[in-house]
Amino acid sequence: MAGKQAAKGSGQAQAGAKAVAQADTGVAVVALPADCRIAAQAALKAQLAGGLEHGAILLDGQQVERVDTAALQLLVLLRRELDERGGTLAWRGASDALNEAAGLLGLARILELPAARPA
Amino acid sequence: MVNAALAQFQQVFIEESLEGLDTMESSLLALDDGGDAELVHTIFRAAHSIKGGAATFGLPEMSSFTHEAESLLDEVRGGKRAIDGGIVELLLRTVDCLRGMFARARAGEPLNDATAEGLRGELAAMMGRGTAAGGLQARRPADQADAWTIRFRPHAGMLAGGNDPLRLIRELAGLGELAVTAELDRLPALDKLDPTECHLGWTIELAGPAKRADIAAVFDWVEGECELAIEPKHVVAATAPPAAAAPVADVAVARAQRETSAESGTVRVAIDKIDGLINLVGELVITQSMLDTFRDGVDASRLALLEQGLAQLARHTRELQESVMGIRMLPIASVFNRFPRMVRDIGQKLGKQVRLELVGEHTELDKTVLEKIGDPLVHLVRNAIDHGLELPAQRRAAGKGDIGTLRLEASHRGGNIVVEVSDDGAGLNREAIVAKAVQRGLIRSGESLGDEAVAELIFQPGFSTVAVTTDLSGRGVGMDVVRRNVADLGGSVTIRSTPGKGCVFTITLPLTLAIIDGLTAAVGGEHYIVPLVSIVESVQLKREAIKTVAGGGELFRFRGEYLPVIRLHELFGCPDAVRAIDEGLLIVVEGDGARVGLFVDGLIGQQQAVVKSLEANYRRVNGVSGATILADGSVALIVDVAGMVRMQSRRKVA
Repeated sequence: MAGKQAAKGSGQAQAGAKAVAQADTGVAVVALPADCRIAAQAALKAQLAGGLEHGAILLDGQQVERVDTAALQLLVLLRRELDERGGTLAWRGASDALNEAAGLLGLARILELPAARPA
Repeated sequence: MVNAALAQFQQVFIEESLEGLDTMESSLLALDDGGDAELVHTIFRAAHSIKGGAATFGLPEMSSFTHEAESLLDEVRGGKRAIDGGIVELLLRTVDCLRGMFARARAGEPLNDATAEGLRGELAAMMGRGTAAGGLQARRPADQADAWTIRFRPHAGMLAGGNDPLRLIRELAGLGELAVTAELDRLPALDKLDPTECHLGWTIELAGPAKRADIAAVFDWVEGECELAIEPKHVVAATAPPAAAAPVADVAVARAQRETSAESGTVRVAIDKIDGLINLVGELVITQSMLDTFRDGVDASRLALLEQGLAQLARHTRELQESVMGIRMLPIASVFNRFPRMVRDIGQKLGKQVRLELVGEHTELDKTVLEKIGDPLVHLVRNAIDHGLELPAQRRAAGKGDIGTLRLEASHRGGNIVVEVSDDGAGLNREAIVAKAVQRGLIRSGESLGDEAVAELIFQPGFSTVAVTTDLSGRGVGMDVVRRNVADLGGSVTIRSTPGKGCVFTITLPLTLAIIDGLTAAVGGEHYIVPLVSIVESVQLKREAIKTVAGGGELFRFRGEYLPVIRLHELFGCPDAVRAIDEGLLIVVEGDGARVGLFVDGLIGQQQAVVKSLEANYRRVNGVSGATILADGSVALIVDVAGMVRMQSRRKVA
């Protein structure tokens, strides 16, 4: 998975599900799809696993319109995995839907969502 | 409220409630016999659980009905009312009525019927008021509080089922202020995660006045798919201590987690039996690995070790077999328990006083046998009370106490279970039986018959000496059915009657239907297995000991009586078998009350046979009860001795 890779994911990814975008800084940018529910998680997990190689992941949650427990569970695991590896997780932004869901499930803090972070 | 999960849940509730009703019934009967106060508590608890459960599962009619009984019990419990025969009677009818309600609930029919309404009125009248009023809330566990703690842990498969905890928690948020803590302790590593499985759990603090039912309703759809506990933080209603609420929640969780096993094809197994099995399998594995070391060949020096290993293997296999059989073994108490009530009711109906003695209730027998032994026993017990025991006046005249004794006793005897039904009544009425038999043309006169032969007559189909047919017995269906049922289980029934002293019916049953001890006999190139229980003796006869009778039958003399010879090679059509009587063997067997001699080439040895059903694998064959697989892999048929005797007697008639 080394080497420069185009920012485009595989062709079958639907609109909104931008694949790993990779800046030269070694930070993998993963955009969460608009419909970020259980059916999208297998693909998302694969993307995140790719991103883990870089040690730092920047999540873009601005597109998220629908989200469920499966998605947030996956993100929590990502968070843990990065902590263990000494990597970092940062957000480029999070939609209201994402914030609301994480809040309800009591996961906003561990995910360090933008809204949950002290300003 | 109605969905598949709830329906399953309801099944469990009904099953548990029926058990509760059994407890109520037996306790009521014990109370009637002068039991102690603890019994009242037991009955009360059972009624209380049924009431609470019925309310939870949307059976309000049942709940309010049980409530009446519970109120009555509460007064007894509190010492406000002395228990007497009237109350016991009323409560027993309540138990019956509830059984009916549960049956209707299962069938999805309306719960109330005229009996229920009538009984409800009677209960209320007993309480000294017209209708039910209030009180329902009094002893309910706290169902309203101003703050709740909800512990919620979905099973892994819940997300895949389309139920999102997010939606549930969002719904909860509508009931009050939430403080949600996610529990992450069971999360797997990222690369191990199946994203469709849920490994999260939540503890949710809900602030705001909410009803338990409202909270529970949120989780209606995920019953059986999660662990759920709803506990009040502060109890509003001061009537119940907070501690009382917690167990209720726990019970609900336990029920939710339990797999619904409404189908009858399950057995509850004590955990120590399972541990024993695991232990034995462990031993078996050790032995196997020990024997594995001989894979490369055996030299003389290690021969002793090999022998030892094989002996160990044999021992462990046998023990394992016994333990596995043990799983199917259940105490006979479950059958015996129905009798106290039955005996009481029949006794009352007939104006007879009966004391029931149950002995050996813990005797264990195979579940299949257990399920089928109930009906024959019911027949025998009814007969004993109806025909055997006398009315108090007659008993006094005979110099016996007013109260007749009926005794049910179960015990292990060798490889058999023996169940005895004995009474101290009048015994069999020889004259009446003989007269009836003569009238029906079964015998010409009773003079030459021994007592035993007379007793055998009552096993004839349609035989009854009672002039008036009651709704209990005397219709002439009974003893022949009893004998047939028991014979189907591979057992036998015998009678021992002493005039004026009483009568003893003895049912002998095999411990299990799955394995029999048998003698392997050779017939031509085939092997047949004769069940050991039915073998009387094997004899070798001289040619002249056989008498040929008109019609082609053969008889031989054995201990003073002539018995028919059944040549197995003829019956089963085996070629190359021994034909000369003095070259083969006669196995004298007993079945269905008669003896015959089975002619075979010779005996090979005794062995345990695991019975495989012929009906399931092929079809029913007359004279054969099943098949088994021998050590060399060939199939041997198991001889059905009783069936063969019946075939023989039919041939005699023809």
